[in-house]
Amino acid sequence: MDDWKYKPAGDLGLPHHEAFKSLKRENGLIATAMHWIWWSFVRAYLNLWHNLKVEGRENLPKDPPFVLVANHCSHLDALVLAAPLDLRLRDQIFPIAAGDVFFTNPAISAFAALMLNALPMWRKRCGPHALAELKQRLIQEPCCYILFPEGQRSRTGEMLPFKAGLGMMLAGTSVPVIPCYLKGCFEALRPETRWPVRHPIQIRIGKAITFESVPNTRSGWEQVATELQTAVKGLGTEQHPVA
Amino acid sequence: MSASERLFSPMRAFEHPVTTTVTIAVASSLLLAPLVIEGLARIGRITDARRRQLWVRWKSWMVMAPLMFGAILIGAAWTIAGIGLLSLLCYREYARATGLFREKAISLTIVLGITLVTLATLDNWYRLFMALTPLTIVMILTVALLADRPQGYIQRSALGVLGFVLFGHGLGHLGHLANDQNYRPLILMVLVSSEMNNIVGYILGKRIGYPLLPQTNPAKTLTNVLCGLILTTGLVMILGQSVFRGTVLASWQHLMGLGILISVSGQLGDLMFSSIKRDLGIKDFDVTVPGHGGLLDRFDSIVPISAIVFHYVNYFVGVGVGEPVRIWTSRG
Repeated sequence: MDDWKYKPAGDLGLPHHEAFKSLKRENGLIATAMHWIWWSFVRAYLNLWHNLKVEGRENLPKDPPFVLVANHCSHLDALVLAAPLDLRLRDQIFPIAAGDVFFTNPAISAFAALMLNALPMWRKRCGPHALAELKQRLIQEPCCYILFPEGQRSRTGEMLPFKAGLGMMLAGTSVPVIPCYLKGCFEALRPETRWPVRHPIQIRIGKAITFESVPNTRSGWEQVATELQTAVKGLGTEQHPVA
Repeated sequence: MSASERLFSPMRAFEHPVTTTVTIAVASSLLLAPLVIEGLARIGRITDARRRQLWVRWKSWMVMAPLMFGAILIGAAWTIAGIGLLSLLCYREYARATGLFREKAISLTIVLGITLVTLATLDNWYRLFMALTPLTIVMILTVALLADRPQGYIQRSALGVLGFVLFGHGLGHLGHLANDQNYRPLILMVLVSSEMNNIVGYILGKRIGYPLLPQTNPAKTLTNVLCGLILTTGLVMILGQSVFRGTVLASWQHLMGLGILISVSGQLGDLMFSSIKRDLGIKDFDVTVPGHGGLLDRFDSIVPISAIVFHYVNYFVGVGVGEPVRIWTSRG
């Protein structure tokens, strides 16, 4: 007979304000209930106020692990990307959010952790260690990430070049990456405005790509970034087939 | 005293001399503690690290003690609700430490079980209180089954049953003591006497005597177990004379029995949770209480004490004798 295996919470022993920021944070019953409430509200809001249309829903994998990547031009983006996903996966979906925006103030980091289920990415000090930790969690748990490889919101609505850091997490893995294109988010919540205006939003979900054969080297990371950028950009053109 | 007075009124909070004495003694100790800490540091009896640790512990007690005494003094409803909350928080720490929190359905069943135990206690519905243990266990075993994952079934359902029995049923008994007219001095006596064990253990540490279970807890030496036993039993015999005045429990034999039971079960509770921590490979259950660790690190000894004191008192004199039962749910 095997010994019983115990696995304490990854963030055990961290005070609350540190646990919110931890990449090892795990959800208990309260966080699960908050996620259900929040994401049900977000879905209703996006459908009623922004008439959210989802194209290519059939391309979404049923189970983790997978990564959703998209263009980034508004604070609504992560909400829109997560909205079509199965509520059953709510605890396993982690939007990767800018640490310096969402995890510096205790109240905002509590909101980001308990409502959005976001994990932080510290843009100015995101080393290979943090990416390796994210990669390990993605595969071992397994879970789903929502990522914006541009690294920041576009201030003009035009897509920025994808950063190669994303490749460090994905090169050499069999994790499906789903390219998505968000349309209308920029008009609904421009960078200079505080509150969203009524504007239709559309999300086009492309076919999954894997990078199993891509070497985990700088050139491989750049290849991952380029392929995904091309895929997302392609979805942005009207003629591009979704499925 | 009517049921609503017992549940909600602080007007007769200091009616019993033990309540007054214990409240004044604890408040004075907390007020004098900074002087003692600084005095010991000045004469070189404690190191600087120990001094800092004592200050952190003192600050934590300055939050915990008013919350505990406040709930007990202002009414039985607050006492029961506070113990219900403590049970939930202790379960949370246990679930996060063992990994059981990942089994959401089982955790939800246990949380509902603890909530129902608290409501049954508030209603002074002892039969439901007792029935909830087997019923919740059956629910845990059923819910664990519904995942259709036979692998690990025994582990997750057994961890769930243990969690509910320790914190729902075990700590629930402490809440049920609040259904007695005399609940304030009774609960305060249990709390301060169980703390006596811990204080003795903390002061003596592992310096004197040999450890009883060195792999489980090297600080639990025969000397500090015996010192704890003598001091706790003595305290229970002094306070119990007044708490149980006019009943069979006021005899020195019964009080000595109660004191020994509180001390031994408290030390066993300490060792049980030390063993759980060693098994899990963790030092503390959490960092909720600075200087102490988690709530469970602070209140581990209360878990077995609660049920043992309840049934000892209930056997000899009864708990809640003369109090209306099913306060909220009876039709008449």
